[in-house]
Amino acid sequence: MRWRWLISFKAICTLLPPSVLAEAAVEGRVELPKSHSAPVMAKRYEIITRGGVLATQPPLAVVYLEGSFPKPKSPATKQIAQKDLTFVPALLPVQVGTRVEFPNLDDTYHSIFSYSPAKRFDLGRYRPEERPIPSEVFDTSGVVTLRCDIHEHMRGLILVVNTPYFVMTDAEGRFRLRGLPSGHYALKAWIDSKTTREKPVTLKSGETVQVNFP
Amino acid sequence: MMGVAEPDKRAVASFRTKLSAAMMLVVFALTALGLYLAQGSVATSAERNLQQRFQAELSSLHRLQEVRHAALAERCRVLASKPRIHAALEDNALDLLYPSAKDELRDLMEGEEPASKQAASTLHARFYRFLQSTGAVLPPPSLKDVGMLSTAAEAQLALKKLPNKQQTGYLSRAELGEDMVDEITVVPIFSTETGDLISALVVGFKPFELTAKSATSGMKSGIWVNGRLNLPSLPKPTQDALASEIRNVVTNGDRAQNNSRVRVNGTPYLLFFKQLNPDSLFPPAYEVCIYPLAGLIAQLHRLRLQIGAAGALLLLGGFVASHFVAVRFSKPVEQLAVDSEQSRAQRKRAEAALASTAEELERSTRYSADASHQLKSPVTVLRTGLEMLLAREDFSPEVYEELSALLHQTHRLTGVIDDLLLLSRLDAGHLQIRPEAVNLSQLVEEWLDDLSALPDSPEVRIEKQIPAKLYVAGETQYTSLIVQNLLENARKYNRIGGCIRVAAQMRNRDVCLVIGNTGRPIAPAAQAHIFERFHRATSDSAASGHGLGLNLARELARLHRGDLKLVRSEDDWTEFEVRFRVAQPAPDRAS
Repeated sequence: MRWRWLISFKAICTLLPPSVLAEAAVEGRVELPKSHSAPVMAKRYEIITRGGVLATQPPLAVVYLEGSFPKPKSPATKQIAQKDLTFVPALLPVQVGTRVEFPNLDDTYHSIFSYSPAKRFDLGRYRPEERPIPSEVFDTSGVVTLRCDIHEHMRGLILVVNTPYFVMTDAEGRFRLRGLPSGHYALKAWIDSKTTREKPVTLKSGETVQVNFP
Repeated sequence: MMGVAEPDKRAVASFRTKLSAAMMLVVFALTALGLYLAQGSVATSAERNLQQRFQAELSSLHRLQEVRHAALAERCRVLASKPRIHAALEDNALDLLYPSAKDELRDLMEGEEPASKQAASTLHARFYRFLQSTGAVLPPPSLKDVGMLSTAAEAQLALKKLPNKQQTGYLSRAELGEDMVDEITVVPIFSTETGDLISALVVGFKPFELTAKSATSGMKSGIWVNGRLNLPSLPKPTQDALASEIRNVVTNGDRAQNNSRVRVNGTPYLLFFKQLNPDSLFPPAYEVCIYPLAGLIAQLHRLRLQIGAAGALLLLGGFVASHFVAVRFSKPVEQLAVDSEQSRAQRKRAEAALASTAEELERSTRYSADASHQLKSPVTVLRTGLEMLLAREDFSPEVYEELSALLHQTHRLTGVIDDLLLLSRLDAGHLQIRPEAVNLSQLVEEWLDDLSALPDSPEVRIEKQIPAKLYVAGETQYTSLIVQNLLENARKYNRIGGCIRVAAQMRNRDVCLVIGNTGRPIAPAAQAHIFERFHRATSDSAASGHGLGLNLARELARLHRGDLKLVRSEDDWTEFEVRFRVAQPAPDRAS
């Protein structure tokens, strides 16, 4: 689904005329850690831990522009579903203040909780037909580890960022951020729970800056 | 006889006493040995039984502990894999650790009763704590759900580093003025993500009571840890004394398991101890089991008394038996003693008689010899005087006749004296013969010739039947004396117109010379006495003789290993037989 979303995002990007895009853009590539597993044909990502570090598998990165930006007037709502005893998507970047819903798409109970400092919550056990869909508002930036109390292997990550400008790379690490305001900012690439790379960028209206994270 | 029997009885009684004493000694020794062995074996087996019971109870305790540890390990494994616990530990939410664990460990802690009533066999814990990765205790947010524990006691739970396998320890603490011991189990918690040791769970239980079931046995058990002994059933001073005793034994011996005897406040105890948590990071704790020996000693004492009584009975029985046996044994001995005493008395009497007889014989022999010698000289003087008188020619013929008769009497006297002298030498055993071959035939011929030449010989016929060259072993002088005596007797006691028959013949290795003569026979009553000294066959004074001849002849014959005996004396015939040993003639004589 996310893939589809990415594709549609790309389609929108290509379809939009350049005149509309008066703001600056950043594109480039994030050097992703080598995936040790065979190329995954099923486009399904999951969170793995290796040495206490959480990352997606296959590796993906989240690139976001850090700065002080006005908060959105109405909080956005995103979803992380539980399907086939995994979180889908496994990694979700959201802006601070976003409400995330956790629909249960399995035929069993799930009990989603997090002890992460960025957000502690416990939704308790609920069934697929639970209405309204259990949700939480994430109003502190940071990485939130999602766990299921019933299915101990389930892990999900929510990257709460204090910016509306963020994007996930593709499997090769390529990214493109558009509609950015001009000015001096720090461009960050979150690679895993322990690794976030940072580069200063100067954005000018109508220009596309190339930034690569080695 | 009474004088002999008296010491006898005493000797027998003494023998009987000795025999009984010896048997009593044997019985006593056996009883004592039996007593000693029985007592030793009883003591040893009692100790071994206690030891075995201790070991059995310890091993059952260890089985229970293992069950508990296994259950706990499983619990911890489950716990450690719980997402909330992991989340708390991994997501740096330690404040949520105890609340998260609370639900998980609720069944472990629930039903919390006063510690004293708590059944140790259940899995109910008294408290639990988590250890940080540094080994320090993670302080719980509230003591409500994790079990009360003083700060000092909690500090004892800390370890220098987290153990990577399950550990058992013991915690001695004073809570609410009450000494208590907790068995603590530490289970490591590994991260399921990194495999690292991230924490450890410490759970405190009430220790298993070792002798809860066998409280009646008098065995008491407790736990010694950190120099303190927790054995609530003992008074405090005793506990302290025992604790220091155990400290000595433990630190000196460094033995994981042992038993010894200790004396506390004058009361002896059998002490068993075994380390409960070998190879533990916690200080060593010992299961201590004491058994007051007072009961055992009393039991032993009772047993000793019983065995002693049995021994005394046995001894009494032995005494009676030995007495009977001694009496029975001593009876023949007694008889033997009496007999031997009697025979000894008899022998003594006989010996005394023999001694006196020999003495008398000796004295009489010496007397005879002396008398003979003393007589010989006056007789010779007398005979010489008579012969000188006979040589004078101025006496009347009656005087010559008288002198001649007197001279004859002196000859007789000389003969008697010679015989007596010879006999006394015989009696004294001084007469030694040097046997040689004597020609008996010739000897008899010569004496027969002499006999017929005697002046007063009656007219008797002489028949002789003697083979020529008959040699006998003997000394010529004495053999001749025998033959002379017999022939003179045969002539002397013959009647007028009678006859003398002399016959000699070889019989086996002997030569028998038989001399018979006619004449009045010897009276049957006198026949037995004719060989006695100074015996005369008849009181007929007409017959010359002095009653020594036959006696001397027989003594001499016997000296020559022959004999002389009266063959018969009846119907005008008296016959003597003398036996000589035959001898081979000497070569010079034979020629």
